[in-house]
Amino acid sequence: MARRNLNWMVGAVATLMCGHVIAGPVMDEVKSKGSLVCLVSPNAPGFSVPDSQGVFQGFNADFCRMAAAAILGDASKADIRGVGFSDSLKTIVARQAHLASRSITSTGTRDADPGVSFVVTSFFDGQGFMVPKSLGVKNASQLNGATVCAEEGSTTLLNIADYFGDRGMQYRVENIADKTARLAAFFSGKCDVYASDVTALTSDRLLATEPAAYQILPEVISAEPLTLVSQPDAAFEKAVYWAFQVMLNAEQFGVNQANVDQVVASLATQPKGVARLFAKDGATADMGQKLGLPTDWAYQVIKQVGNYNDVFERHLGASTAFGMQRAGGVNALVRDGGLMYPYPIR
Amino acid sequence: MTWRAAYFRDRLLNGIGLVALVWILWWAFDWLIVSAIGWGGDRASCLNATGACWPFWAEKWRLMLFGTYPFESHWRPMAASLILLTLVGVTGCQCARVIFRFSVRTLSVFWVLGCIVSVILMAGGIFGLSPVPTTRWNGLPVLLLLAILSLILALPLGIGLAIARVKSQSAVIRIAAAIFVDGMRAIPMVSVLFVGIFVLPLVFPRQVNLDPMWSTLLVLIVFHAAYVAEDVRAGLESVPAGQSDAALALGLTRMQVIRHVVLPQALTQALPALLNTIIGAYKDTSLVLILGLFDLVATARMAFSDPLWQRQALEAYVLVGLWFFVSCRFLSWVGRRIDQSSVR
Repeated sequence: MARRNLNWMVGAVATLMCGHVIAGPVMDEVKSKGSLVCLVSPNAPGFSVPDSQGVFQGFNADFCRMAAAAILGDASKADIRGVGFSDSLKTIVARQAHLASRSITSTGTRDADPGVSFVVTSFFDGQGFMVPKSLGVKNASQLNGATVCAEEGSTTLLNIADYFGDRGMQYRVENIADKTARLAAFFSGKCDVYASDVTALTSDRLLATEPAAYQILPEVISAEPLTLVSQPDAAFEKAVYWAFQVMLNAEQFGVNQANVDQVVASLATQPKGVARLFAKDGATADMGQKLGLPTDWAYQVIKQVGNYNDVFERHLGASTAFGMQRAGGVNALVRDGGLMYPYPIR
Repeated sequence: MTWRAAYFRDRLLNGIGLVALVWILWWAFDWLIVSAIGWGGDRASCLNATGACWPFWAEKWRLMLFGTYPFESHWRPMAASLILLTLVGVTGCQCARVIFRFSVRTLSVFWVLGCIVSVILMAGGIFGLSPVPTTRWNGLPVLLLLAILSLILALPLGIGLAIARVKSQSAVIRIAAAIFVDGMRAIPMVSVLFVGIFVLPLVFPRQVNLDPMWSTLLVLIVFHAAYVAEDVRAGLESVPAGQSDAALALGLTRMQVIRHVVLPQALTQALPALLNTIIGAYKDTSLVLILGLFDLVATARMAFSDPLWQRQALEAYVLVGLWFFVSCRFLSWVGRRIDQSSVR
């Protein structure tokens, strides 16, 4: 701790003396250490799971890499660590990690904590229900008297209580902490309904011996904007926020991980918006100078991590075990009917 | 019941038992070998197999053993685990009077050196080993380090507590030790662990940055010490009062009496109970999972959370179960050998 304070002071004094950009302490710490500590869930299929080499892979893990690519110019400098849910915000407050990309729902009371900043929503989700088709239920209002399998101690239970309570419906909860056991209980008919976030439901359904025998009900009973959380630090938050916007903008302009080199080589013939993203004297280069990022940070994000669609398709999309459809869903770009709104970079 | 009826009843029960055993063995054999997909098979064929998926083990064994520890440095947790396992093996065999005959002093030196070397191997930061934060210590070495270090350090603490409770001349010390031991034993381990992780850091000043790994170890030591103390207390009270009276009459000091006369007899008496406590404590170590430390059970979960291998939960847990079965079997074998030799 003492040494970190020293680093800090040296960093602060150095920035003051050289008249460089005055970044926040978190930004300085990330740069002086050359690594960005980022928290993920230890076992969330598709979002963050260690691969066979013990390296975290998944949708959430890639946003850790995005931040490292933007700030340090190297996605591999993200020090991705698996932690349990209740520990993640605490670890951020205790300043033991810089960023959490861990499917944390942004809520009013959480954001009111001065120790954390909710930066940008990387994934919109909501809670839903899965039932066996043999139950003959077509929508959630017919679930009166059902037995629900849900995770112990989660907000899932609170949302169920709200939903059934508001409608005066009876229900019984089967609390099972372990996901494998919970699913086994549901598939063996111990409960009528399985409740979880809709994205989780789509992947869990595939674990049934006969997935076609189960359906996900149309109702989504809660809003779960899953958001990147950082230590409060204006410069750091801006860097993460705009790195995410670069990923959305790149998708909007059709620039992806595969063609970015080609695009950058032929900037003169590209639309003006693309030039602003990647040109050496473009808008991102200007932003980089003001935020203290590498000049080509936008290129590094797309080259090393990809645009939003690359990340989504790589971990959750049609070619994966989850086979999620992005088009038409809330996580599509605004032009495709979703909630992902690329802010202008100029 | 006539002897004839009893005879036929026993024959019948034996027969049923035999059939059940054969059926279970056949089922295991079928799952492991006959219906299984072999080591070199591919993932896709596992999806429709009714037996074990060996490719899962082939693919994930390193993840299950060492978790997210940097892949290229896996030799370090491997070496640390081997050192600790060798120490346990040698000590166990020595207790069971098989092969090894080291002096207690030599063995103690081995243990101290072995533990230090294992921790250094895991942590790095010196001798050119790159530092690895404890958040990346996963799997087998975490289980071994926590179980072994906590038990090694709990033994002397527990013996001290038992002596304080039974033999101390000060009523205050006796009562304090009794309150501590009985209090600890009245609280479930899970609550104690939560206190260690979430309350302990609040007690220390902000500058003290207590690592979850080490605060968990601290809690485990204190917790196991209470159980060790009870086992040893039973041993102490089984030593007849005449033993210490005679030793005192010979002019030994109270400390000498405890050390040379009472304690050796008490520990011999307490050994079976102590071994029970040790096996229980070793198995309970996996509870640290709830605190976000990733032991063998947690890394097994990581292995089947991989989107491509989500159906292989059974394979993962079978491997963990096998590990615990073998290691606990070893410990109870040692226990039985000690029992036999103390009877002789």
